Order: sequence, then C-alpha cells, then structure tokens
Amino acid sequence: MTYAVPEIRSAGASRRKRLSYAAVEPWLYLSPAIVLLIVVLVVPLIIGISYSFRKFSAFKSEFVGLGQYHAMLSDAVLGQALVNTLWWTVASLFFQFFLGLGLALLLDKPFIGRKLVQAVVFLPWAVPSFLSGLTWAWLFNPIIGPLPHWLFVLGLRSDPSTSILSDPATAMWGPIIANIWFGIPFFAITLLAALKSIPAELHEAAAIDGASPWQRFSKVTLPFLAPTIVITVMLRTIWIATFADLIFVMTGGGPAGSTNTVPVYVYVSAFKSLDKGYASAVAVLLLALLIVYAIALIGIRRSLVRHV
Amino acid sequence: MKRLSVMLAAAAGLAISAGTAMADTTLKMVEVITSPPRTEFLKKQIAEFEAANPGVKVDLVSLPWGQAFEKFLTMVQAGDTPDVVEMPERWMGLYANNGQLEDLGPYMAKWADAKTLGERAKEFGSTVNNTQYMIPYGYYVNALFWNKKLFKQAGLDGPPATLDEFIADAKKISALPGKYGYCLRGGPGGFNGMHMFMNIADGKGGYFNADGTSTMNDPGSVKGLQMLADMYKDGLAPKDAVSWGFNETVTGFYSGTCAMINQDPDALLGIADKMSADDFAVAPMPVGPTGKSFPTLGYGGWAMFANSQHKDDAWKLMATLLSPKDNLDWAKEVGVIPIHNGADQDAHFKTEQFKGWFEELSDPSKYEMVTPPTHLENLGNFVDQVAIKNFQEVLLGQKTAKDVADEWAAFLTKEQQDWMAKNKK
Repeated sequence: MTYAVPEIRSAGASRRKRLSYAAVEPWLYLSPAIVLLIVVLVVPLIIGISYSFRKFSAFKSEFVGLGQYHAMLSDAVLGQALVNTLWWTVASLFFQFFLGLGLALLLDKPFIGRKLVQAVVFLPWAVPSFLSGLTWAWLFNPIIGPLPHWLFVLGLRSDPSTSILSDPATAMWGPIIANIWFGIPFFAITLLAALKSIPAELHEAAAIDGASPWQRFSKVTLPFLAPTIVITVMLRTIWIATFADLIFVMTGGGPAGSTNTVPVYVYVSAFKSLDKGYASAVAVLLLALLIVYAIALIGIRRSLVRHV
Repeated sequence: MKRLSVMLAAAAGLAISAGTAMADTTLKMVEVITSPPRTEFLKKQIAEFEAANPGVKVDLVSLPWGQAFEKFLTMVQAGDTPDVVEMPERWMGLYANNGQLEDLGPYMAKWADAKTLGERAKEFGSTVNNTQYMIPYGYYVNALFWNKKLFKQAGLDGPPATLDEFIADAKKISALPGKYGYCLRGGPGGFNGMHMFMNIADGKGGYFNADGTSTMNDPGSVKGLQMLADMYKDGLAPKDAVSWGFNETVTGFYSGTCAMINQDPDALLGIADKMSADDFAVAPMPVGPTGKSFPTLGYGGWAMFANSQHKDDAWKLMATLLSPKDNLDWAKEVGVIPIHNGADQDAHFKTEQFKGWFEELSDPSKYEMVTPPTHLENLGNFVDQVAIKNFQEVLLGQKTAKDVADEWAAFLTKEQQDWMAKNKK
C-alpha cells in the first residue's frame, strides 16, 4: 500500500504540484461519467448480487448464503427456461442478422423506391416493443387475426382455428417471428453504415481483376464488415437474451411454461412469487453466461481485426 | 399612505391564500383494476367529492391491472403508500397481515349508510383477523352466459341445469361446424372457473376442511378438473383456449365461436355492446351431483392505509364512494353487484341478463358462494402463476389431474395450517 505517494512527497514543491495536477486533471474530466457509471451500473449490480444471498417475501428477508444458488441446481423450471432462452436467442438472432444483412446490401445499391423501402424497413424500430407484442398477439389470434388462416392456406398449420401461440410445440415461434420483425432494422442500419464505409475503389479494382459478385462479397465486403458483424451480433445477442417484453405480452411464458425464458422467470420470481433473492440469483447466472459469451466474441473480434 | 394600505392589503391577501393552501389536504388514492371509461367515471365521482369538500384534493394514481400487483407492492415497499387504495380480495391477506391497513370498524360504527350495507360487505371485508380492513364496492359473481341462437341451432331449448347437461349440451353444440360448447379460460384468470367446476363436481364448496387440509384433491375435485381436461381434449372448447384470458373468452363468446362462458357481470359490459339482448342470457351455474352449485364470488373494495396522515378525509372519500347512490352508479358502470340492500330493485338489474346472478344470490340453499381464502399471504402467486401453469399442463396432457390436484392440496394445506397455527394464540 506504499505505491506512488512517498515518491511524490519526496519531490520538490512545484514539481509535486505539476505532477499531481497532471495526474488529477483527466480524472476531473472523467469524474461525472465515472460517478454516473457507479450510480447506474455498479451500485445496482452490487445490490442485485447482495440480494441473491437473501430469501425475500413481500416485506421480509433473511440471509441464506448460497441457498438460492443451491436451489437453482434442482430447479427444472429454470432448466427449461435456459433451453427456451437459447432457442429464442439463436433463432431470433439468425433471422434478424441474415434478413438485416440482405436488406443492408439491397439498400446499399440505388434503385427506384429505395427511400420508401428504407422507411418501411426502419418502421419496426419506431414502434414500442409492448405495442408490437400486442399487435402480433392479435394477428395470431384465430378468431380475429389473419395469420392462423394464412398459415393454414400455406400448409404450415393443419387447423386454422388454433394459434401457434397455444401449442407448446410451436408457441415460441410467435414471439420469435415478432422479434425478427422488431430486430431487423438494427442490423439493416448498422450494416448499411458499415457498407458505406468500404472504399468504392476496392470493388472497382476487384471487378477489373475479374472477380465474380460472390468473390467480391466474400473477399472484399465481408472482411470489411466482419468487425462490425461481431460487435453487432454480440450486442444483439445480449439484448435478445435479456428481452422479455414480446414474450410477456404475447404468451406470458405459457402455455405450460413453453415460452418461459430466463428474463420472464426472473420477473415472475421477483414480482409474482415475491422472491427477489431467487430472481437476483437467476439474473446473476444469466449475467455470468453473457459475460463469458461477450469475452469469447471480443477475442474473435480481435483476431479478425488483426487479419483485416 | 394609500399605496401603503394597498400593499398591506395585498400582503394580507397573499398570507390568507397561503394559509388556505397550507390547510388543503391532498389525498393519494390508487386504483388497480383500470380501464379508460372506468377511470373517467371514478374521476367524475372524485370531482363531485372535491366540490362537496372544499380544501380536499384527491390525487388519483391508476395502475394498469396487468402489472398492478407488482407496481403497487413496489410502491409500498418503497414507503410510497396511498391514503386510500382499491383492494382486490386476494391482496388483502398480504397487506392486512403485515399491519398496513387501517381498521375501518370504528369509522363504520359512525357511518349513517352502514344501516343499508348488506351483511356480505361486512363479512367479506373482515376475513383477515375478523377486522374490517376493507369495504367491498361490489361483487363479481360467476354465472353462465349462454348463446340462445347456438343452443337453438343445436336443438337445445335452454341452458344446462346440471353438470351432466352442461357436458351433453357442449357436445351437441360442438358438433356444429366451427362452433364450440364452452369458452374455457386456461390462461390468466383461469383459476376461478377451474376451481368452481372442481367444487361443483365435488359437491362441496371452498378450499379447506375444518382441520385445514385442502379439498383440492378430493376425488370429486379431481373429477371436476379431469372433466375440463376431457372437454378440452374432446374439442368441446377451442384448442386455443388453453391460453385464453378474459378478453379472448369474451371475444369467443360474442363472436359466436362458443356458446357458453362462465363470467362475472363485468363481462356483460362488452358482450351487451356486441350482441343483441335477444341472442343471449345469463343463467345460474349448473349444479353438481349433490344438487348444489358453488359459484365463485370475487370482490374488490376500498381500504385505507394505517399510516395515512389524513384519515378523516380519507374516510370521507371512501364513505362518499360507498354511499348507496355512488355505489349504485359505480356498480352499473363497472359491472358489479352493488353492496347496499335493495339495489337489486333498480330497473338496470331487472333484466334477463342479470337474472342468473340474482337467482344465485337469492337461493343460498342451492347456490353456495365461494370466496377466495384472502387471509393467505401467498394466495396471489398461487392463483395467478402456479395454478395457471399446472392447469395448462393438465389440459395439454403433460400432467395428470390427480398429480396436479395433489400438488395444489399440499401447497394450500401447508399455507392454511401455518396460518391456523399462527392465529391460534
């Protein structure tokens, strides 16, 4: 604990003043941001972690050590929620990414009506997620919504009087479809911005060298997009994995828990079962999984940047 | 001199108005079962109260019902308590057992309108510790809506009187193309209907035996649960109904998709808007093997927080809203059965649509009303989460009716016996 302080004290007065001011100045500029980060991120995180060692009821709590974590090991509902979360995240991300990339490539080229397509593509981003969920839930409703009929006409459902939301085997597809619609603009916007930053000469040079469109995409476009792709995929994965609005509005985690994801389970444990401690422990687990995932992807991004 | 006196007068005026402002009381009131027209109506009643009580202002907070439980609890946990709150019956145990609600008994003792207040209002408002922690503003009694047109098409001439007829009628109606007998409610709020049919099939109402053991897994109760699962499996209810809540069942009924639903009078508001009064009616719930039926009776009411700084004004507000006139208007607006004796004589309630409810209420030997065990702290979670998920598992064939009924019985028995042990002292 004797780090730099004795050295500074042994120096002359003016030097000490300069040194200490130089050392402090950046921190002064950074301090509002640091305080803000501590207040909005670090403090709630510490409170959340400390809650995970307690058992709560509505107006009481007691310290239970690792009891909540121990209870998680034998919680079948949590097991199902983890599997559902994985499925929800991977399927949503896969379609959001590829459809978003396709739209970004389309919108990168001039064509008649591009502005209109652009406006339509970005529209879902402007609609509150809760409202999106309500709208999609009604679209899937077999009495007043058109989708069950069209899924039947297309041969995807055998019975137009039922909704995919009511069948445990297909229920997760409802929120996933809504989420795909909701998330495409994110990839379309960010990838379109990245596409615009690729120097046109590179494509021209490749074309002169006789590269095919696929070769130009795979050898020029994709390497330039790769760092952006890794970062957007990482951010989006975290957002989707923790995003509960659509599921909550469309299925409430049902039927029979078939769309119960970890964030929905956290919400129900905290506010319906009134056990904030268990909810916090589950949230800490999700946080840990997402941190591991983010670290892995950051590693991938570093190696990609080195190779570009 | 003139200028000085004007200034003095102005200063005195300011002081007086400041004094008046300081004497003003602002009551915080929270409503939790909301809809835009209902909130508008409540605001109108509040405005009349404010006009009649100068100096008292009411600050109304309206929470959407879907998130009301957690939002209100969070407010209370943070110390942000209201003076007056709308209290659904199933939350009463939670707040009353934690000493947060004011005993309204002394206020009622001096209340002129108490003489016309029905006995049930006193009884249902004091289920926790025999103390009047709330006064209901009306009752949500379950009865059977039936579609006359669909019954006629299926060759039936009236609503089912017994459980066996209920199933037989549902079968006949479901034979019509694209039609179903019963609008089952498997999703949010489905517990009432499910528990009611378990009680009817069991021939015994309520939740517990005298020793605190639950009746949920009585053989008759299990039979009732199985009956619903069989109806669902056999296509007597729409497949989608496994996740249906209030709106979906009501839509299913008025759209003519299914011919029967069990509902409270609040459903009548939407249904009467969409269907001609000639096309449907409301009958009492069918009776079970013992010739008795057990309709559920839910209720909401007004309660006062014990830490209110303005208890007299808060009571004045409650007494106004619960007065015979305001209560009758309120009951018509929100679709509940009013609390004061004689309200059933009002022309509004003398229609064929209300007949089923008043028939149930007027014949206690045949219709025993079942109210939720509001004294149990964990009732809300059980009813809204655990039971719904399990019920869906039974409907979908993932669990047996017996296994689920045993789980429920074990949970409720423990809750009840713990409560009994605690309240023995």
